[in-house]
Amino acid sequence: MDWLDDFYQLSAALTDYKVAQLQGTGVGEDYLEVLSTIIPHAILAELFGSYRSIVAENSATPTEQLIRDGILSNAKLGPVARNIIKMWYLSIWYQMPEDWRQLYGKPNQGDPKYQDVQFVVSRNAYIQGLVWQTLGSHPMGAKQPGYGTWGDKPSDRSSIVSTTS
Amino acid sequence: MNTVDEFDVVVVGAGISGAIIAEQLGSKGKKVLVLEAGSGTGDRFWNSSTSTGAGSGNGKKPGYESYMDTFFTALAKIPNAPYSNNPNAPQPLVTDLEPIAQNQTLTNGYFVQKGPLPFASTYTRAEGGTTLHWLGTCLRMLPEDFKIKTEFGRGLDWPISYSDLEKWYQVAEENIGVSADAAEQSYSNIPNKAVHIPYESGYNYPMEAIPQSYLDKYMSSGLRQMTVTLDGKDYPVDVVSTPQGRNGMPRGSYRPVGAVGDSDLGQRCAGNSNCVPICPIQAKYNALKTLAQAQKTHHVEIRTQCVAYNLEVDPATQHISKVHYKQYSDPNSPEHVCKTVKGKIIVLAAHAVENAKLMLASGVGNSSDQVGRNLMDHPTMLTWGLMPTKIGAFRGPGSTSGIPSLRGGDFRRNRAAFRIEIGNWGWSWPEGAPVGTVPDLIDQKNLFGAQLKQTIASVYPRMFRFGFLVEQLPDPNNRVTIDPTYRDQLGNYRPVIDYDVSDYTRAGMAAAKQVSDLIFQRLGVEGFTEYKPSDPGYLTYQGQGYTYNGAGHLVGTHIMGSDSKTSVVNRDQRSWDHPNLYLVGCGNMPTIATSNPTLTMAALTYWAADNVYKALADM
Repeated sequence: MDWLDDFYQLSAALTDYKVAQLQGTGVGEDYLEVLSTIIPHAILAELFGSYRSIVAENSATPTEQLIRDGILSNAKLGPVARNIIKMWYLSIWYQMPEDWRQLYGKPNQGDPKYQDVQFVVSRNAYIQGLVWQTLGSHPMGAKQPGYGTWGDKPSDRSSIVSTTS
Repeated sequence: MNTVDEFDVVVVGAGISGAIIAEQLGSKGKKVLVLEAGSGTGDRFWNSSTSTGAGSGNGKKPGYESYMDTFFTALAKIPNAPYSNNPNAPQPLVTDLEPIAQNQTLTNGYFVQKGPLPFASTYTRAEGGTTLHWLGTCLRMLPEDFKIKTEFGRGLDWPISYSDLEKWYQVAEENIGVSADAAEQSYSNIPNKAVHIPYESGYNYPMEAIPQSYLDKYMSSGLRQMTVTLDGKDYPVDVVSTPQGRNGMPRGSYRPVGAVGDSDLGQRCAGNSNCVPICPIQAKYNALKTLAQAQKTHHVEIRTQCVAYNLEVDPATQHISKVHYKQYSDPNSPEHVCKTVKGKIIVLAAHAVENAKLMLASGVGNSSDQVGRNLMDHPTMLTWGLMPTKIGAFRGPGSTSGIPSLRGGDFRRNRAAFRIEIGNWGWSWPEGAPVGTVPDLIDQKNLFGAQLKQTIASVYPRMFRFGFLVEQLPDPNNRVTIDPTYRDQLGNYRPVIDYDVSDYTRAGMAAAKQVSDLIFQRLGVEGFTEYKPSDPGYLTYQGQGYTYNGAGHLVGTHIMGSDSKTSVVNRDQRSWDHPNLYLVGCGNMPTIATSNPTLTMAALTYWAADNVYKALADM
């Protein structure tokens, strides 16, 4: 099963960043690997399937309400979607909520590369966190903007990136 | 047969003060050994396994860059995040802190905290010391700070004056590489004479002032001509750029020192916005630079992973005859060998808490009963809010300006002075933003997609915080002791700390909060400040709650004075009890005043190095 395309499409809807921008971070495949190691595959299939259905039944850019209805307010899929948003923004995997773990979590089998505990995905993932560009700066400790740039007037645009296409 | 290595000078500690002693004496041909309890990266910037030819080739040798790996993947990006915990040279962490219940002892970190309030500051035990994560603020003390007992009937007088120390301030500013304008730092334009600092005519810092942040400039124009009334007297509120140990534009023939191991890097600050916990390019000064200079003299040897644990005294001469240390090869294993060295002169440069601990463990230098006492910090109270417009938070060095006009004045008879630091990194300190706050937007505020993006883009650039660094007076009951019950993995003592914050300082916090409230009103800042009883540093004063944080300014555990009965070292920074024992570091400072102490400590240490050199000539 190749979910990468599904993952990017859903991620774009959840973050309001374009697929190309998400691909440009270079860490989307790592995030999907984290996700597919920790979340049972049946749940991921349902999540991506739900988003495909929303798109098929409505439009390529469904309204936020449709995503709230079909995914975010779903007890099984909502917490997974929220973890995807947090991963893109902060590069951190957060442990799934306790009630979700009891109902849907899978016990660790063997010694998987990623466990359902809080961790920073990787050095590069930290640097690629979306939060930094969203708040109009750069990841603290990386992508140095240059001497004296902190004295410049901050951008007036509400965001340095446009909305999903 | 065992032979004991012998040196002109044995220095305990490879932080800034130990590095200065080693470099100064090594450059004059003296044979110096530096013992460092923690690990180190030597002269490597890049990890030797990935960089051909770097290091000396024996397998994998971590360079400074390894600290960046640790930093990037650390969940809690606290000041010690890049510098891994080393059970053989443990260090305090801010995440150890909790409120201390009455008559309880907090033991879950390296410090054993007996309260009643927790001591909130930390330091780094690794080669380069706490300068690895300092902010780089290089303020001089005010002339009145050296004589607050005489001037205000509070605290202690120093055995030296500002004018005694001035030339050493210049030496320290040259060697650290400080960027600032002397005319501005003299505060002569501030209409409060108490804070004026005389600079030698014609003197200027080696580099031009670091540019002020957009926030600094916004605030400077917003507060123009503002005054506040304190104790019936009007005081100005002036925004002034802060002198920084960070490379800027050089003046004249001065050339900044770049990164150790890759000097093309770090010759000028590039705006990584990460001075604390680590400057990725070493544009900010750290003591590795001075250690590298020391090693270039070929007279200095640095031994890392060597923990000094006992100073032996010759009963006939009262000289320190030997330094005993434990050398380990693996930080995670308690296996070690005990070794001994001799020095004509011994210099303790291990940091305020560790110097006191080593003296207490050895039973040396304490005829005054002042070793470990008078521990001070700047209890740092934060206020935070949202500016009415974007001020570009999370950009640039952590702080590029402050409000120094309330550092001195007659009010010091009644309550503590403070300096206001303007923070450039939004709510990163008070709230852990953005990493600590964005999950709440997603999980509790139920934002996603465009709403989430627009909320972050419109709110976070408006985040702003003040830090109020409040003066704390020397109090013999605020102290470091040792207790055989509490030891680390190598069997060395853990510091036991008694600590409280006096009403004098609490009154300073209350005055600081008043000033903050007035400034917030003037600028139209939407306040978000909250002090919670669950905060480790929560305290009350006259019915109001306030929270302090640690500033990382550990001062005063072996104070200097003019009387051997009430101080640990004399004005030469030599132990009153042992003719060949010198102490350096912030522990020598009898008061903390309102300036970050590193520059004053460095100035004192250059002076101490000169004293040691002269003493060696007589031996």
